[in-house]
Amino acid sequence: MSTYYASLLAESGILLLGALSVYIILATGQLSLGNGAFMGIGAYLSSYLTVALNVPLTLALVIAAIAAGIIGAIVAFPALRLKGIYLAMATVGFGEMVRSFFLNFDAMGGSGGYRGMQHISVGYVWLWAGGILIAVMLLERSRVWLEMQAVHDDETAAGLIGLNTTVTKIGAFGAGAAVAAISGGLFAHHNVYIEPANFGFDRSIEFVLAVILGGSTVGPGSLVGSLLLVFLPEFLRPIADWRLAAFGTLLILVLLVRRQGILDRSLIRTLTFRRAAA
Amino acid sequence: MLTIKGLEVRYGAITAVRGVDLEIRKGEIVALLGANGAGKSTIARSIAGLLPFQGEIAFEGERLTPGTAEKNLRRGIALVPEGRGILARMTVHENLLMGIYTRSDKSAAMADVDKMLERFPILGKRRDGLASLLSGGEQQMLAIGRALLSKPKLLLLDEPSLGLAPLMTASLFSMIAQFRDEGLTVLLVEQKARQTLKIVDRAYLLETGRVVTSGSAEALINDPTLSEAFLGGTH
Repeated sequence: MSTYYASLLAESGILLLGALSVYIILATGQLSLGNGAFMGIGAYLSSYLTVALNVPLTLALVIAAIAAGIIGAIVAFPALRLKGIYLAMATVGFGEMVRSFFLNFDAMGGSGGYRGMQHISVGYVWLWAGGILIAVMLLERSRVWLEMQAVHDDETAAGLIGLNTTVTKIGAFGAGAAVAAISGGLFAHHNVYIEPANFGFDRSIEFVLAVILGGSTVGPGSLVGSLLLVFLPEFLRPIADWRLAAFGTLLILVLLVRRQGILDRSLIRTLTFRRAAA
Repeated sequence: MLTIKGLEVRYGAITAVRGVDLEIRKGEIVALLGANGAGKSTIARSIAGLLPFQGEIAFEGERLTPGTAEKNLRRGIALVPEGRGILARMTVHENLLMGIYTRSDKSAAMADVDKMLERFPILGKRRDGLASLLSGGEQQMLAIGRALLSKPKLLLLDEPSLGLAPLMTASLFSMIAQFRDEGLTVLLVEQKARQTLKIVDRAYLLETGRVVTSGSAEALINDPTLSEAFLGGTH
């Protein structure tokens, strides 16, 4: 595989994890526009652990995920009082706060960025991305997922069923933050250089876009969305300067035709049945 | 079974319920009647643990604290809220499965889910269909079925006939009347007073957050003054 395609594939694996981090939180009806910040926390923390303390990368990623998960759960507490667009705005504020922190945090390079990480292969990236995607798909078959969906559909009704909606929402936020942190750790070690601008609002929007485009009601939707977001602009290169405009148009068209995104439960069921019948 | 003394509920500066006293005995079907804004739903939601309140609500001798819907369900109080509270993105079966969430006897609970699908054949037919695609009446059956699966001692039904066609309302009321034979205690919040009084044992009439009168269904249904003042002649 050429370096070019390996790089795109690694990028899509990292984006898949970011998209899944949004998807997990969205499953409880909460929209986070600040997951770029959790990615940044994971990137900086795992980089510090591997570069300064010589911690093995896999362990560093796990530590970063746990730390970001705890921060995510703490952030979720005040966010519990907010819903819809107000919650989304609060997460934007959190994202900017974190980006600004790393911008002024000279111990990790500040605006000059941080380097010294060892490069990882595309295979390692996809080991994590594939593993977490499978874990999310298994989660979708579990009782916990039903609880998350119940909170998404009607929080009051979920409470009346006996669910602890607070625990469900905080848990989802923590899990989403942890996955975003792994995405950040992989990004840092694949690119071997990070700076605060890598984890800003644009990054958070990219995660959300991958979920919405690929399908916000099924885990594999994030995979489809991530692959499209990374590969489609590259395939459109022959039209040079117009490629991003064409990409934007395609995005709008897809969402006009399928508001729920490309993949949904019924499409997966149809594809599965066809294959079974063939 | 349930005793309420001096219940007061506020939404900010507005007092929705003022000094309500109420009692429900085991095996009874009791109605809360009144016009919109009378405070009926607020009382039901307070009993379920969804709202902060002042005063005393005691269930089976145990004093309930506000904001404890999950605990109250485990105590045996199930509320079917106004608007049904259907989990729209889930299938009918998944909605029913959520009804057994608090039960520890999982294998018996799973068998009860199957029985519930037999009890409501239309739900059985649409077992794997999305709950959002059910009609209003079917959604109400699903909401009640889900609440029954938690094996409640006290079932709170908040305006179950809202938005239903007359035939569906009649069938719903006859189903509620059957709950008495099954030993279930029911608090029915309704605006359709005449139909309600035909199936309940006792009723409380509310106006602007206060109980203005109460008594047996028979006594209330034959009281022309009450009928004119609170229930409307043709309801």
